[in-house]
Amino acid sequence: MIRVSGITKRFKLYHSPKDRLKEILFRKQYHRDFTALDTVSFEVGEGETLGIIGQNGAGKSTLLKILSGVIIPDEGTIEVDGKVTGLLELGTGFNPELTGVENIYMNGTFLGMGRDELDRKKQSIIDFTELGDFVYDPIKTYSSGMLMRLAFSIAIHAEPKCFLVDEALSVGDAYFQQKCMRRIQEFRAAGGSIIFVSHDTNAVKTLCDSAIMLESGKIAMAGKPKEVVDFYQGLLLKKAHIGPSEVQIDRRVHADAALHSDVSTGEVDVTSLRILNRAGEDVDSVETDDTIIIRVCVQSRRYLDDPHYGFIIRNSLGVSVSETNTYCMGVATQPLNPGEVAVVEFKMAVPLAPGHYAVSVGVANRGWGHGGFEEYLHLMHDGMILTVLAKTDGIHFAGVFDMHPDVRIRQGRDAVL
Amino acid sequence: MSWFSRTPGKVFAVSSLRKSIRLILELAKRDLTERYSGATLGAVWNFIYPLVSIVIYVVIFSSIMGARLPGSSSVYNYGIYLVAGIIPWTAFANTVSRMSSVYLEKKHIITKIHVDLRTFPAFIVVSETITFAVTMGIFFVFLLATSSEITYLIAFLPLIYFIQQLFAYSIGFFVGIFVVFLRDVKEMLAVVIQFWFWFTPIVYVYEILPDFAQRILIYNPALAFISGYQDIFVFQRIPGLSYLGLVFVMSICLLLVGNFIFTRLEKDIRDFI
Repeated sequence: MIRVSGITKRFKLYHSPKDRLKEILFRKQYHRDFTALDTVSFEVGEGETLGIIGQNGAGKSTLLKILSGVIIPDEGTIEVDGKVTGLLELGTGFNPELTGVENIYMNGTFLGMGRDELDRKKQSIIDFTELGDFVYDPIKTYSSGMLMRLAFSIAIHAEPKCFLVDEALSVGDAYFQQKCMRRIQEFRAAGGSIIFVSHDTNAVKTLCDSAIMLESGKIAMAGKPKEVVDFYQGLLLKKAHIGPSEVQIDRRVHADAALHSDVSTGEVDVTSLRILNRAGEDVDSVETDDTIIIRVCVQSRRYLDDPHYGFIIRNSLGVSVSETNTYCMGVATQPLNPGEVAVVEFKMAVPLAPGHYAVSVGVANRGWGHGGFEEYLHLMHDGMILTVLAKTDGIHFAGVFDMHPDVRIRQGRDAVL
Repeated sequence: MSWFSRTPGKVFAVSSLRKSIRLILELAKRDLTERYSGATLGAVWNFIYPLVSIVIYVVIFSSIMGARLPGSSSVYNYGIYLVAGIIPWTAFANTVSRMSSVYLEKKHIITKIHVDLRTFPAFIVVSETITFAVTMGIFFVFLLATSSEITYLIAFLPLIYFIQQLFAYSIGFFVGIFVVFLRDVKEMLAVVIQFWFWFTPIVYVYEILPDFAQRILIYNPALAFISGYQDIFVFQRIPGLSYLGLVFVMSICLLLVGNFIFTRLEKDIRDFI
């Protein structure tokens, strides 16, 4: 259980170390004040996990450092019931020349464990790492994944009352991450609290009971993880918008096609590309299985007798997940006059696995054969990024997309196969 | 369940004494082994250097320069005098100088997890004490081998050493606070220690100094403990206890002043480091 009230932290920024001396000698201010945290208060109960999100520089690391006792706040109090262990950086104090076991003792002592405690837990720690005999080799021979296993294994055995975790957990293979997750769940079930700092909004949504968002040292929002994450993503988009129009938090507009690599004859302009949700609101993230509308506005400088419009959705590896166009869809289009604007809307469900996807759009003229065109007029690569988030009440799946399987199990002595 | 509040300026209460001691011991152990952890001889190298320098000093001053203690023609007496001063001085000087830069040296740890900055430098004292004990042990063997006198006065050794190291800690701690903000102080300290060595009758005897020098030298606190060792090993006298008591009091005062300053500056130290 952790209760934090009114934590304020200001850093004094000096141009050079000499300025610090000058300040002491001449009693004049030579520094700039930077408020890293401003009256931050929150509470994490037993068995609860709190997520902290925010942009770089919002104050997350400073807050963690204060919670773990590395930095002293200017104002405010912290009440902790029991030991606090930080996984701020795994493997603090690791000496590359020493063996894994020797480092268990060193790192373990830093994390607050006594010699007898370490003697008792040593075998359990070694087993958890699954490093086998490598644990008796100097750790300079280890890969980063192995180091992470060792460091995490030691930390998870420290049995604190509260865990401070930041991105450190993202290293490591899927199997070990699973193991860590299970251990963390056990930890939670036993009443331990976790404060989790991350940029991975998906992780925050799935793992946390509550969340807070830091912005310039203040808590901009606190509440249920989904609400806070949505608010955060809205804020990010508002900052990314460079267009002249004012943006409200729940309407996100992506402007400025010039930023993207286009393949174009110059005769056609894509004047607008938006992704909307079912209600017609601009979005840049949806949950799996949500419906989106890709809305393209195209203006042509010359007469197009058989224009067709298409889209490509690519995953973060650049692999096309789905692409088609009005010609391949068998949709009849009207000719486009110069100066006219065509507004094309593709409406579809997105059963994709969580991740980032790039939406590209294209315009062509005179289709033939199975999908060829006589004229390729414009292809806007990666016009928009669509983030797909895990569905809060959906199944867990991996791979490219959810095939919505139904399952039936029959069993019995006389089961018919 | 124990609750504690962390308010600015107060000591982080959960850092109980036991936890601090564990950390100090572990750091000391690591300090001795780590420096030479890649080398095959390992920790043994810790003792080779001091022993070699002792041998060199004794050979140069005794045999080559023919130095003898006044009133004694024995070759060994001067050697014993010299070594009796150098071994503790090494512990003293190393403790002070290493403590002064300990926050910088261990910054990779201090900035990641909570460490009680007031007490953890003690690991240097532990580490130097072990080196001291081993070299002293070898010295004892040497004394026995040359059938020199070892009397009950040896019992004073731990007391003198304790006061010496307390003094070293108080200086190291005090200077260490400032080194964080102004690294030059560390270099200045190195120079001071150099002068201090020659200002203390380790290589020479107090009596050979001219009057005015003798009168000034009395104010050198190091004289209290160095002459203590020399009294025990060479002159078979009881060490000057009141003098030692004075150094003890000085140390306590310096510690209190240092602590006062530290409390005010801890926040800045943690931010700056």
